[in-house]
Amino acid sequence: MPYKKVIFFAAPLMVLALLLPMSASAQESANCLACHSSMKGRIKAVSGNLIELNIDSEKFQSSVHSSLACTDCHIKFSDNPHTSPNAPVPPAVLAISAKISKKYPIDPVAAAACVQCHDEIYKKVLESVHGKNITQKHQTDGALCLDCHGSPHYIVPIGNPAALMGRKHQVETCGKCHGNKALNEKYKMEENVMESFEESFHGRKLALGHTKVPVCASCHGAHDVKSVDDPTSPVFGNNRLQTCGKCHKGANKKFIPAITHKLPGPIPYYTEKALIFLVLGVFTFIISHVLLEAFSDIRDAIFRKGGHE
Amino acid sequence: MSQSSTTTEREIPKEIERFNITFRIQHIIMFTTFLLLSFTGWGLKYAYAPGGVSSWWIRVWGGPETAGIIHRVAGVTMLLDFVWHVIYLFYLFGTKRMTINLKTTVIPLPKDVFDVIKNYLYFFGLSKEKARFGKYSYAQKFDYWAVFWGMFIIGFSGFSLAFPMLVSHIIPQFATAWIWQLLSIMHSDEALLAIVFILFWHFYNEHLKPENFPMSWLWITGKISTDTLKHHHPIEYEMLFPDANKNKD
Repeated sequence: MPYKKVIFFAAPLMVLALLLPMSASAQESANCLACHSSMKGRIKAVSGNLIELNIDSEKFQSSVHSSLACTDCHIKFSDNPHTSPNAPVPPAVLAISAKISKKYPIDPVAAAACVQCHDEIYKKVLESVHGKNITQKHQTDGALCLDCHGSPHYIVPIGNPAALMGRKHQVETCGKCHGNKALNEKYKMEENVMESFEESFHGRKLALGHTKVPVCASCHGAHDVKSVDDPTSPVFGNNRLQTCGKCHKGANKKFIPAITHKLPGPIPYYTEKALIFLVLGVFTFIISHVLLEAFSDIRDAIFRKGGHE
Repeated sequence: MSQSSTTTEREIPKEIERFNITFRIQHIIMFTTFLLLSFTGWGLKYAYAPGGVSSWWIRVWGGPETAGIIHRVAGVTMLLDFVWHVIYLFYLFGTKRMTINLKTTVIPLPKDVFDVIKNYLYFFGLSKEKARFGKYSYAQKFDYWAVFWGMFIIGFSGFSLAFPMLVSHIIPQFATAWIWQLLSIMHSDEALLAIVFILFWHFYNEHLKPENFPMSWLWITGKISTDTLKHHHPIEYEMLFPDANKNKD
């Protein structure tokens, strides 16, 4: 049978074909991971920072970046073993890495390399309040890609419940900084943002699993987030007419102050106190009345049988 | 009442109508919507953390979207029920079908305050007599007017929160900075008051009390037996049947 013989040629070819999509990059990742997935502890860099060099290869394989080669981002590390990483870096990446080198002293090129694929988004970020804080004010505690999205090695699609910027975790992720007292004081940011969101209808419905309720970026913008004092911010002044109007059809000037992160003013504050006073007063009356009446009924039933009435 | 000349010979009936069919329907709509509003609203009031009891409770009600719809529909229905009640009262007064009589009115009177004091003294064993009531005891008057308070505070704030664009037109400009926060505080705090009030006051007085347990059926029949009337509303009883005691003498 000639067909049976064909299999002897075809089978190895098919196996080879399976290997084809696993191109040079994947093989190269495997090379790196041979060491970098079995490292324990952290090492001290020249700058004195402790850095983690181990990669959880299983988590990496299930991330959206699993098909990239290590050197796609760690551009300079093309030699193996990398004694003096010095491979040529594209000028676009180099320009950004120079701006963010204070935040990422170890490998600014890798932190800038996101721009190779996420070109437009990265440019937006650099123009945002987060980006300018790093490129112009040269701060190191402000947010850039990894602070919000987590390690690029383990990044998952936004729809995945584990995604740090997905609906489920976004508020908590932003809260790492915006709920941090020291940072709020340093940057003079609104201090009540986390509490007021949790208290708000939006926050409560999110906790209940509402699927349409807004999270931080829904109103404030994501990569192009602006300071609330910036006239181009979606939550600045009358820009809210449009921003709130995305969900609340017909949002008008009297409606848009409804959602605020500011602490309640004196009127709601003291009204609430008065209402609590009223509530406690009523509770005292009705509960004492109910209990006393019940006791007196029991007393009458036992001690005053056939009494008056 | 038009045959008042025959009252002297009239036999005392076994029961009399206390609430007509309109009032009964209004009451049924009121408590049905009240329960729906309480159940769905409670889930939102304490929803601070994902995956908590509130999330489970709201899933029982079909999830946050559905629970929200139930809450709004029930709220609007309750408000309409209230409006219907007020219009009906105007109609009753306008056509003289109802008149204000100090012995039968639900309007709070100084006597009610004295009745409360009297009963407290009785509870503490400092007095041998309980208060005697007309058609409505102070407990029932409190129950009735609590709904009015709730309608103005919770009803108005709830309507504003459900239809903010509609209501924003009547909100003065200077109030916009704090009114929304105020409205949600009012709605939430007073709803808690309403729920606890009903749970303790109404449930104890109309359901748990030994003489009413499990409930008085007059919310369906509208009828109260003259025995009960004599016992619980002696002043009304004496007004309706002034010769009842004379016959005994």
